[in-house]
Amino acid sequence: MKLGKTFKHALNMVLHSRLRSWLTILGIVIGVASVIAIVSLGQSLQSSITSSLSGLGGDIVTVSPGAARGGDFGPGRVDREISTTKATSKAVILDTTDYQVLKGIPEILYVQPQIRGNVNVSYLGKAGSVSVTGVDQKVWALVTTSTMAQGRFLDSADQNVVVIGGRLASSYFSQPVGINKMLTVEGGAFRVVGILNDQSTSIYMPIQMAFTVIPNKVNNQYDSIVLKIKDQDFLDDDLAIITQKLTVSRHVTNRTMDFSVTSQKEQQATRAAALSTMTTFLVAIAAVSLLVGAVGIANTMFTSVLEKTKEIGIMKAIGARNQDILLIFIFNSAIIGLIGGLIGVILGGIMSYFLPSLLSSGIPFVRGNLLTVVSLNSVFMALGVSVGVGIIAGIVPAYQASKLKPVDALRFE
Amino acid sequence: MASTTKEEEVLIELQDVWKIYQLGEVEVPALRGVSLQIKKGEFLAVVGASGSGKSTMVNLIGCLDTPTKGTLYLKSQDVTHMSESDLSSLRGKTVGFVFQQYNLIPTLTAYQNILLPLELQEFDDEEAHKRAEELLKLVGLGDKMGNLPTQLSGGQQQRVSIARALAANPEIILADEPTGALDSVTGKEVIDMLHRLWKNEGKTIIMITHDHHLAQYAHTRVELKDGQIMTVQKTVHEKEMKLYHRGD
Ligand SMILES: Nc1ncnc2c1ncn2[C@@H]1O[C@H](COP(=O)(O)OP(=O)(O)OP(=O)(O)O)[C@@H](O)[C@H]1O
Ligand SMILES: [Mg+2]
Repeated sequence: MKLGKTFKHALNMVLHSRLRSWLTILGIVIGVASVIAIVSLGQSLQSSITSSLSGLGGDIVTVSPGAARGGDFGPGRVDREISTTKATSKAVILDTTDYQVLKGIPEILYVQPQIRGNVNVSYLGKAGSVSVTGVDQKVWALVTTSTMAQGRFLDSADQNVVVIGGRLASSYFSQPVGINKMLTVEGGAFRVVGILNDQSTSIYMPIQMAFTVIPNKVNNQYDSIVLKIKDQDFLDDDLAIITQKLTVSRHVTNRTMDFSVTSQKEQQATRAAALSTMTTFLVAIAAVSLLVGAVGIANTMFTSVLEKTKEIGIMKAIGARNQDILLIFIFNSAIIGLIGGLIGVILGGIMSYFLPSLLSSGIPFVRGNLLTVVSLNSVFMALGVSVGVGIIAGIVPAYQASKLKPVDALRFE
Repeated sequence: MASTTKEEEVLIELQDVWKIYQLGEVEVPALRGVSLQIKKGEFLAVVGASGSGKSTMVNLIGCLDTPTKGTLYLKSQDVTHMSESDLSSLRGKTVGFVFQQYNLIPTLTAYQNILLPLELQEFDDEEAHKRAEELLKLVGLGDKMGNLPTQLSGGQQQRVSIARALAANPEIILADEPTGALDSVTGKEVIDMLHRLWKNEGKTIIMITHDHHLAQYAHTRVELKDGQIMTVQKTVHEKEMKLYHRGD
């Protein structure tokens, strides 16, 4: 029999046992959808981390108050930890002394103290709360890895001006915010001079303004100090030097260390590793459900072969060869796999679209502006896998069907 | 009739054929050394008591099963040593089956059922569709193309199965009690149809029947008993058969 006809008969078989086919398909749908959702969620988390700490930045080091902890997850967590530290212990701070110490280290090119907090902003009547970072406008542009989409970075003469994140400009308010528009930040008017080329809702302003704008900040006390070192090839050495100098100036020992020195590279690697461990784990769980789906297909196919024994006998009596029967059943299970895969991909796509917003409150390193994209690669892979799973699950029952002796099959009731 | 007297080609030959079924420890001999020659264009009736081995013999002839011992030639090919795949091809091309229980594929319409052997033999689409349509008309079911088997009466289903048996234009039609599930009137219609195929198209027909009246249609009668051939005899002359019918 020609392949086209074989396929037609296989499809006919799927359509004629609709309920059972659908139940089997459902098993695959669940497996594929969860794999797709988790993989694309993992991918977008990964890429959001790598883009926020872009490949540049190998020469960027951050000094923060509070002891270093393993497994820090992104800025959100860092903020929260700092504030907890502040609230519970005797004011662990970074101040101008630290600033001067860092300035005095020859391996450091730039020193950029900054503070951060949440503020109320409004634009044309629409208000919200976003994160604002006060930066030393003289060096910020030299230290940051962000790039400008429109306008310029902050200038040393700037006062009531801000640079804003891409999403804050494009879609946060009821209307897009353009260059030279006025934003209201904590009651004060600020002119937008630059829009960053990213998906954030952050605001950057001169640090002196930020001290007045962000609630509960003390002048000359910093939330972190960002450094750019001269040669990133000596990163490890430089980290040691910085740590050593601060340890001395802050009168602490290795055990009582009340600050941390981290490089962006390190953070990136730690986060990426933690993330990929978690993603792998979740994908493994999802893969198990796909496996269960495969067992479902095999089960359905065995039942179907049993149920169709007589038909197989008839087909053979009228000239069907073993390979015709084999292919009809393999196609049958491949079709089930394919349909399951297609629906699974669509469902997985929908899930991965909504998943970030569902999880963002629960997982600290997912911020609201995560953009999940189901890559074409994972779509093809999922379809390939589900068809493959269908075929593999169908092979044994199909082979069994094809080997039936015509007389025996015909006698079967 | 003329065809049978002219053509002496032996289409099917059984030489000392045995079929022994193994039921656990017990051996059940269903055929015990059957030898028989069937010529092209014959109309053969196989009769005998239940369990005498009729179906077993016909299944062997149709290559649905292989003999335990002995040799079977179909169109001068020794089928006892053929592969599954070759058997299927040979079967599909040369043999058409008509079963007591019709054995149509329940999920296919009458038309699709007739199309199936043509698809298996890889006829081209246009020809296959034309042929299936012609055959449905031939068996008088031109208006039932789209009906599923469950939407047809027994007699209609049997006619579809005859059309299906004819689809790939085989030389041999094997019919295992084709009227067994039908009332006598419908049964006779089916036999008439087979008879016409034999007479007009020169098909070789081998039919199992319990009904001695129906056996009269055949040209030769083979009687089986306990897995052995008891008698092979020419049946009554066609003229007499008509007389017989009149008196029926
Ligand atoms: N698969 C099988 N396994 C074991 N024994 C079998 C099998 N098929 C047939 N037999 C036995 O072989 C013998 C012949 O069976 P067969 O079906 O050929 O009889 P039959 O003449 O067609 O009878 P009926 O008129 O009832 O259809 C019987 O004794 C039967 O029990
Ligand atoms: Mg029988």
